[in-house]
Order: sequence, then structure tokens, then C-alpha cells
Amino acid sequence: MKIIETSRRKFLQGSVALCVYATSSFSSPIFTTKTSDKKVKDIPYLCNMCRNKCAGFARVENGTLTKLNPNQYFPKSRNMLCPKGNAGIQALYDSDRLKYPLIRIGERGDGRYKRVTWDEANEYIKDKLLKIIDEQKDNRSTVAYCNGEGFNKDEYIKFFGSKLGSANFLDEGSICLNTKLGATQLTIGDIGEMDVAGSDYMIISGANRYESLITPDSVDMIHAKQKLIVLDPRCTMTAIKADEYLPLHPGTDLAFCLSMIYIALKEELYDKAYVKKYFQDFDKLQKHILKNKYTAQWAEEKSHISAEKIERITREFFAASHPLYYLGRRSVWSANDFQLRRAMVLINALAGSINRKGGIIFGKPFRLKEEEITEPFYNNAEGRFDLDGIVYGSQKGGSWLNFREKVINQTAPYTVKVLFVRKHNIMQNMPNITKTKKMLTMMDLVVVLDTMPSDTAMMADVILPECTYLEREDMVVSFNRLEPSLALRNRVLAPLYESKTMQDILKGLGKKLSTPLFEISSKYDEDLQDAIKEQGKTKAFNEGGYNLAELYKDDISTRNKKLILTQFDENVYVSLKTKGVWHPYIENQKNLGNDLYEYYPEDKRFYTVQKKYKVNCFLKKLQKYGFDAMPTWHDRYDFKPAKDSFRVITGRYVTSTQTATTNNMMLKDMKETNRLWINAQVAKKLEIEEDDYVIVTSSVSSVVLQAYPTNKIAPQVVWFAHGFGATAQELTNAFGKGASDNMIIEDKFEKIYGCATMHETDVNIRKL
Amino acid sequence: MARYGMALDYKNCINCKACEVACKEENGVELGAEKHRIWVGGNNPEGQWPLLDIASAAFLPSQCQQCDEAPCEEVCPTHATYYDENGVVRVDADKCILCSYCMNACPYDARYVDDRTMTVDKCTFCSDTRLARGETTTACQNTCPTKVRTFGDLDDPNSEISELLRTREHFSLKSHLGTNPKLFYLT
Repeated sequence: MKIIETSRRKFLQGSVALCVYATSSFSSPIFTTKTSDKKVKDIPYLCNMCRNKCAGFARVENGTLTKLNPNQYFPKSRNMLCPKGNAGIQALYDSDRLKYPLIRIGERGDGRYKRVTWDEANEYIKDKLLKIIDEQKDNRSTVAYCNGEGFNKDEYIKFFGSKLGSANFLDEGSICLNTKLGATQLTIGDIGEMDVAGSDYMIISGANRYESLITPDSVDMIHAKQKLIVLDPRCTMTAIKADEYLPLHPGTDLAFCLSMIYIALKEELYDKAYVKKYFQDFDKLQKHILKNKYTAQWAEEKSHISAEKIERITREFFAASHPLYYLGRRSVWSANDFQLRRAMVLINALAGSINRKGGIIFGKPFRLKEEEITEPFYNNAEGRFDLDGIVYGSQKGGSWLNFREKVINQTAPYTVKVLFVRKHNIMQNMPNITKTKKMLTMMDLVVVLDTMPSDTAMMADVILPECTYLEREDMVVSFNRLEPSLALRNRVLAPLYESKTMQDILKGLGKKLSTPLFEISSKYDEDLQDAIKEQGKTKAFNEGGYNLAELYKDDISTRNKKLILTQFDENVYVSLKTKGVWHPYIENQKNLGNDLYEYYPEDKRFYTVQKKYKVNCFLKKLQKYGFDAMPTWHDRYDFKPAKDSFRVITGRYVTSTQTATTNNMMLKDMKETNRLWINAQVAKKLEIEEDDYVIVTSSVSSVVLQAYPTNKIAPQVVWFAHGFGATAQELTNAFGKGASDNMIIEDKFEKIYGCATMHETDVNIRKL
Repeated sequence: MARYGMALDYKNCINCKACEVACKEENGVELGAEKHRIWVGGNNPEGQWPLLDIASAAFLPSQCQQCDEAPCEEVCPTHATYYDENGVVRVDADKCILCSYCMNACPYDARYVDDRTMTVDKCTFCSDTRLARGETTTACQNTCPTKVRTFGDLDDPNSEISELLRTREHFSLKSHLGTNPKLFYLT
């Protein structure tokens, strides 16, 4: 047994926070509200500190939220709350929160705003918007709108897309995981779900599941009896906890995958019966891979992983009964990312790990009915342009970098003058912040709905304070495929200050805008003019669906009850209101001990379902547009940073979610700033010591942060966590802490899904 | 009356700090790294990239070890530190004179000064919060994503913790000091 230092003092040595929080008789202690010894009724809610939506119970004492606890009924979150989930209280009580509607009175970005009433804010938006839409002759797509939060996204789209008529919606997909979703959809006809718990042999490329927690995957990995192989240029917590860690060059995971396919084909390790039944164009794949000689020796040269290991792991993988090549999430690293994810899907398929335990499963999710609304048709609304030049692309969330490029270069087919932003910190979340700033400066009207004065909010003309997830009820949501369940976010407290739910904000805007916007349409839209002639104005308005607030006639509680009772029954409704969750086995969940539960009995889980699908090896459309129809290596993918320069890669700390949590006082207490990981031996040569300030320079810009020399990273690679380096002074905890990765990442994007490739920037490092 | 203890399946710890945050929120612990009742000690893998020995890295969740023979209790001149009816080492804020003998005596460095109550405070196993209202888990145990901790009554032969300690190998920290901790690390 190795002796590990358990001393608090030792622990403190590495803590940057020490000097800041050093006990001083002059500073008053900061603390949270202790829970009492009294029993209270806990309120079930769903977390929103990251994209996971774990379930919890909130403890409210005398009107104050004092504690958030995990919810044992939700199959997805496995009865846990992570550090961020626990710190949700401080998101609610953050003193920097946006409290009132604000209108800009200074220059854009200088932070001068005046407090206004909701009506004044809506009136201001109305005046500006009407003028612009009139000028643009009812081209509704002059209004772009974006949203970075999963919950309520569809309702937001219904308002600005279906009702108001804009084609220009953007979301986080093109700076996150659209290549992975697309690769899976196009290869096996479904985005599927990975059954981590059921897998006995799992390979993870780069996805850092123990520091970027995804439920239930992160939890299941710890408890599953499985061999775990981790590939990463950086020795992450996930790598440390693996059975085997394979350090490799950034961007060369595809070489490893191609070699796995080569070995499987050459040694005939693949599931022949499965391939015969499901594969399309298998012969083409076979010919392509063998012809290109993607041998283990070849992959060793590219990736730095030894040929012996590649061969052994490939054989082990195909010999396992439930192997899984984990597809990752925030996935877009390199230009080859789409074909990398395809290669991973094909490896799973070659092993027969599709639609069965431990593989990519299709499952049987609950399909909730859509609430029906009437959508007006606008003849003068133009289509979206951000997918021009993109082969597939997401018709829903588009391509942020292509959109921004076309706006700032004025190469879009029409002008975008307005941007509505909800919970989407675009000033921090996409590469090359200077360009985002330029785009925002070119807008005539920027409206931000958010809870915090983010860097983006501080670029707005109008700021509308939304309440946090703890102050609202949301529509019931269906989760997961293997063990499907329903979950409902109940309201814990009424909205603080003058903040409102998104629905109430849109309802207010809808009331203000519907009629005047209808008038503009009637000026330019011939079909509408005909309808008015035929039916009269009132009927044309009502039957045409021009009431933007139609969905908000009833409040969320009423809508939820109606929806749940129509599709399910009273028991389900009561369960959702009292437990926050419903699944068919909720009343007889088996306690496995130590706060762990079995949700669906093994024989009731949807490992395998009846489904017609094919495994598509060859995508003709790609060939038609001059791209690789199958996963292929090109020399330009080789890892060759210039002499004395480093490839910068990004990721997260376990205590922060993108930029939304770095102002949280409790999470700041855990991790106050980010530091630059640099190989210890390299740092020594450069005379860089721990906590020295270094300047990191790319072709785009430069940032300054402290150094963390470590043996856990490759010599020609540096890493620092995303989420820090806020420039908004209104974020008193986050401002001035660390550096922002997107300040220096070059804005390159791949052309299959229009996704930003985050790991293709080389930087120079200099000690300050 | 119980004799509370905790078993830690420490190899499952991913140092995510959920326990630290849950503890601070539940017990109203002051912020600041010096004030943690819980912390995770650890060491990086040995070797040089790419030849890293990942098995050499380990993370050890630490907090008050709830000794049966607690040095902090022995040295306390005012009997502010005491064992409660469940064997939990507690502090009586009214009696504490902040002499800090306990801080020096504790071999685990588990005690810290609470600037509000002017008490040398420590982990209480959530005795005055969760346990006082009849709950059976501590905040750190309940929230843990990988379920490292098992909390329970060591005197109850049917408790989960008793069963675990019967069936799994375990060790205590600095056992040579004879402090008899009630925190057990499972191997």
C-alpha cells in the first residue's frame, strides 16, 4: 500500500485560493446557510448546471433554499449530484445576477445600462424591431436567434422560428457535437445511446468522462466490470482511472481507428453474420482499408501508440462479448472529426455492437406529443445561409462559424440586423472572440435573455433577466432509451428580483409584437393581403396563427397537467409532481445498497428492439461533393506543429461547465482559475516554473495565464480549461481569473457539418 | 445510541469535489480552502510522458477520522471536544477557547478555525443537521457520484458498513498511533 499524504497542509500547498482566503481579522467570513435539524418537505427539481439534467430534491427552509440533494428515482442520474449540482444554490443566490430589465445607454460593451420596467424594455424592442422588419420588407430572417440551453429550446424555436418566421436559428451543436450526431445518424440511421454499463470492454478517445461528467456514463464506468482503454494526449482523471492509458498525438485517433478496422478485416475478427445482414457496401470498405494498408505499424508512426498495443487491443476488443468504442460528446477536434466518429461507429458495427447490450442501442424512448400551434407562412422570409458550402449540416442549429463569417464579411444574401440570444455566451463559446465581437457590433438590435451578466449580455442593447432553473417549472421531458423515464422540473422558489421565466418573457414580447408585426406583413405579403380581403383582418390574424404568444395562453403547470393526463395517467402526473420522475418500475426499485438502485429489471431494459436499419459504409453524397465517402487518412492530418510551437487543446475542470459556472462562489472556492498545462521537462528547458505567468500566442491573439508544469501532458501539447477569462467586470468572481481559450483558438471549421475544429491551433509560449 | 463509522472505497474516488461542496452547503461551512472539513489528498502518476505509471496515482478522500482514542479530545483543556452518544467527536462551541491544542494534536490535520463561532471546528458526520432530523446518510456520502463512502452503525452487525468491513480488506490511516479511527479505507 502506497502512503498518500493526507494532511490538509499538504493539500493546501497546491491551492491558489490559499492566499486569497487567508484568514484575516479584517475580512468577513463567507459562508452558506447551514441546514437545520427540522424536517421539511423537499421539492423535486431537475438540475441545470450543465447539460445532463440530473434529478434532485431541494430543501427550502423559511423561504431560503438551503440544500440540494440527489434524487434516487431518476435512472439517468443514478442518485448523485456533482459539485456543480450541489453549488446550484449559489447560482440562485449569486449577487451578480441580472435582476431587472436593462437598456444600454453607453457604447456597446462599455457596461453602461439603465434599469427599466418590463414594459419599457418590450416597447424598446418593439420600436427597433418594427423599423428593421419594415426596412427589410418583412424578411423575418433578418432576425437571427440562438439558444445554448437544452431545456425550452424547442419552445424558443417555436416563438422565433415557427411564429415570428426567422430561418436563422443557431445553437451550440456546431461548436459541440454535431459531427458525432451526424456520423451516427448517417451510418446507422439513428443517433442511438451508448450502453456503458453493459459493456465489458470500452475504448474512449479523448472524452474525459471523470472530469466532464455525463450521467449515467461517468457513474456506470466506475461500477461496470469492464476493461477501460483511454486514448488522450493528456493524462486526465479518466486516463488515470483506466486499465490502460494510451498517450497519443492530438488528432490522430482516426489513425488508431483505421488501424483497428484494418486488423479486424485482415484477421477476420469481425462479426461475419452481423456484417452480412446489416452492412451496405462492405466490399468497398474492405477494399479501401486494405488497399491503403492502415496497418498497426502505419498507425504507430501517426499516433505514437505502439503497433503491438494497437494489435493486442484490437484483438481484445473483438474478442470481448460486449465491446464499445465510446463516441464522445463535445467532439469536434480536428478537420477529420466527422470521419473519426464514423470510424468509431463502424468499429462498433464490425463487432456487432449495435442494437444490443453494451453497444450503441436504439432503445425505446417515451415520445411526448407536441403541443399544436398554428404557424404563419411568410412569403418574404428568406432561407438560412449558414449551411451554404456545408455538405450536411444541422438544419436545426446550423453552423455558427459559417454564419458569423458571412455576417461580418457581408457575404450573406441579406442582412441580419437583429440577434436574440438566450443562455448562450457566444462571446466566450466559439473560437476567435474578436470576430464574435465584430458580429455583435454590426447588429442594430441585440437582445439577451440570461441569468448572469455574461460577456455576451454586456454586448446587448436590451438585457432581459431570466430566472434560474430553480425558480421555474418546465415542461415534462422524456429521457433515455435503455431505461426510459419522464422527468419534470418543479419550481422550488418564485423568481427572485424582477426575473421571469422564458415563457413569461416571450408571452410579454408576443403581446407587444403580434399585431404590429402582422401589420407589416399585411403591407408586403400578397397572400396575407388576399386572406385579409377574403376573411377580414381579425380572422386572417387568428386563423393564420399570427398571435406569437399562442402557446402561452395557459401557464406551464396547466400545460404540463394537460399533456401528461392526455398521454399518460394520474399516477404518472402525481409521480412527476412529488418525485420529479416517473418510470414504470419506480414503485419497486431495487436497493442495491449504498444509495445505488436498480431501476428497470435487467430483462425489461430495451437493449435490443425491432428496427430496420443498415450500416452505411459508403456515403455517396460525400463523394459527390468531393469529400471522402469513407474514413480516410490524409497527410494533412499528421501531427506536425512547427518547431518550438505547441498544439493547444481544451477541456474542462470537473468543477465548471463552460463559462456559466465560473462566477459561482462555491465553485470558485473549489477552482478559482485555470492554468496552462505544459510538459514539465519542456517547462524546465524554458525556465518556466509552477505559477509563473506565461503568454500564449496564436495567429489570432494571445492570452496570459499561470503555468502548471506536469508530466501528464505531451511535450508538444499544451492544455488549459475552458470557462475562464471572463471580461465582464459585472461578474465579480470570474472577472480577471485565468484565460479564455477561445481568445486564441483559430476559427477553422470542417465542411461536413460546419463545426468548429477546436484542436487545430498551434501556439508559442513565452515566460513573462 | 450507535457507533457511527464510515468505509471508503477510495479507489473509486475521482476527486470531483462533490463531497466538499455538499458538506459546505449542508453544514454552512465557511468558504476558503483552509476551512474544508473534507479534502482529497492525492498524487500524480509517476514517470515521464508517455511512460506514465497510472497505477501509481491515487486519491484519498480525507476528513476527521472520528478516532475512538482521539488525541484532540485528550488534549482539550476545557473539554470542549467530546464524544457524543454515537461516538462522534464533536465540539462544544461555548467551551472552546481557541487554544488550538487540538489542531496540533490531530495527526490527520482535520481541524480548522471557524471565524464566526471562534471555534476549532471539524467534521460532525452531519450530526447536528442530517442525522438530527432522522436521516441516515451524511451529505458527502449521499451526493458522491461514484459512491465512495458507506456510512452506518458499526455496532449493528446487519448494517451495510459492518457487512463491508467483514467482507472487504481495509486499513486505517496512521494506525500505528493507536487512535483507532472509525474511518476505514477499503482495498
